[in-house]
Amino acid sequence: MNDFRLPVGESIESGIDFLVEHLSFITKASAAIIETVLGAMESGLLLVPIPVFIVLAAAGVWLLTRDRRLTLGSVLGLALIWNMGLWAATVSTLALVLVSTLCAIALGVPLGILAAINTRMYQAVMPVLDVMQTMPAFVYLIPAIPFFGLGKTAAIFSTVVFSMPPAIRFTCLGIRQIPAELVECSTAFGATRMQRLMKLDLPLAAPTIMAGVNQTVMLALSMVVIASMIGAKGLGGEVWKAIQRLQMGRGFEAGIAIVIVAMILDRVLQKLGTRKDT
Amino acid sequence: MKKILLTLICLMFLAAPAMAAKGKVRIAYVEWDCATASTMTAKAALEQMGYEVETLPVAAAAMWQALGTGDVDAMVTAWLPVTHADYYEKVKDKVEKVSVVSGGAKLGWAVPAYVTIDSIEELNANADKFNGKIIGIDPGAGLMKLSEQAMADYGLNKLELMEGSGATMTAALDTAIKNKDWVVVTAWSPHWMFGKWDLKYLKDPKGVLGAEEKIEAIVRKGLKEDMPEVHAFFSNFKWDSPAQLQMVMAWNQEGGTPEENAKRFLKEHPDTVKGWMGK
Repeated sequence: MNDFRLPVGESIESGIDFLVEHLSFITKASAAIIETVLGAMESGLLLVPIPVFIVLAAAGVWLLTRDRRLTLGSVLGLALIWNMGLWAATVSTLALVLVSTLCAIALGVPLGILAAINTRMYQAVMPVLDVMQTMPAFVYLIPAIPFFGLGKTAAIFSTVVFSMPPAIRFTCLGIRQIPAELVECSTAFGATRMQRLMKLDLPLAAPTIMAGVNQTVMLALSMVVIASMIGAKGLGGEVWKAIQRLQMGRGFEAGIAIVIVAMILDRVLQKLGTRKDT
Repeated sequence: MKKILLTLICLMFLAAPAMAAKGKVRIAYVEWDCATASTMTAKAALEQMGYEVETLPVAAAAMWQALGTGDVDAMVTAWLPVTHADYYEKVKDKVEKVSVVSGGAKLGWAVPAYVTIDSIEELNANADKFNGKIIGIDPGAGLMKLSEQAMADYGLNKLELMEGSGATMTAALDTAIKNKDWVVVTAWSPHWMFGKWDLKYLKDPKGVLGAEEKIEAIVRKGLKEDMPEVHAFFSNFKWDSPAQLQMVMAWNQEGGTPEENAKRFLKEHPDTVKGWMGK
């Protein structure tokens, strides 16, 4: 069996080398842009005095959810992060997760719509999604360095790859699950494909799509530690540093901060998904 | 709305090509304590010279890869000739060794002082006391390669070399010492575990693990042309002795941030620092 080995690894490696040679100037340039945007976002968020930030965040949570316990919990959670001295790291992680999630949704939702209305697209996309979700991020983390350099861009790239699939899957699922009667109805009234998409599919699929967005955010947060291995810093970096130095307490502190951020984002997004006017 | 804004911002930056700040140095490192001490000290010294320095804490493979692609300018924590041999082999045409930051680094297998054997040769006979396990680190590390070699050379057929990471190894050591269990780990010094616990290296009569390691400073090819002054700095960057590096590492263990301790070193050892700056 081992007399003839298919050169799987070798071909992938030479393929990557080829891409590095011909594409890296583009990816490097976009990396510089993304880092600048992220940097601006971070320093902008850090400029806001922490108490003001917490009050604003609580007001935002209240306006979006009208949930008293959640609002109070957000205030307490953010105050705890502040107290543990992890504010800057949290802001950095938050910026990273927000940008990654925005990218994932901007790419994922349209792809999901395409996959829902076009069978061939569906057949092409699904296996790719399986690869994206199950290929261990470590595998492409190091090869991403020549393209994006060390730092946040490579982290965003791997986070988007890992967290986009649910956005695509759920969007596709939501649209495919629209009852056939309603579709017939809209066709009977002479709706064009575009009208049907805008007025029937998307509004009805909205809760499912929001659930997908929610999953995307959660997956993005679960990537922060892996992303810190290529210099993403933030809360993931704090965890990793602590673990490497066997400071378990510090590791848990940073872990708890990640959990707090995740819970606030999750509850808010869930509420958004169940409301009618998304 | 946010998306539109972001797009606009992106476009703005596209229109004005991003200019790197003049005199920015990027140093990659791994959060090992020796690496942190050296890196932060180099950073503090370069900042004193008027450069902007970015230090990137990453994984070892990422550090080498980034240096090979020229994404970072330098690192001051290359463990050669053995530990990082595989990494170095991959990128050696694209990087340049410029200085030995510290000698006296050592690889080996360590046990807590209360373990009553002294040599690797005695391991097999006492395998059950060690639960049949040798606690290893990241599978990619040169130390693990040597450890596998040692397993073969000493015929340690009753033990298994466990893969993990630097963190899992120290955690296993911590647990064993708390329970006064026998444990053997793949180790290297300088490392904080030797300061925290009373450990000893097992004798290695065949000299499989015994090569002395050096910690070297490595820069990307082309740094000499781009930033001759920075290149000169890294060529001069070295600790006076392994003990000096251990001292700064001990400060970091005691408290204060590595950045503060690096500045303290600069203040207390102006002559060493002058030498780095070529004065």
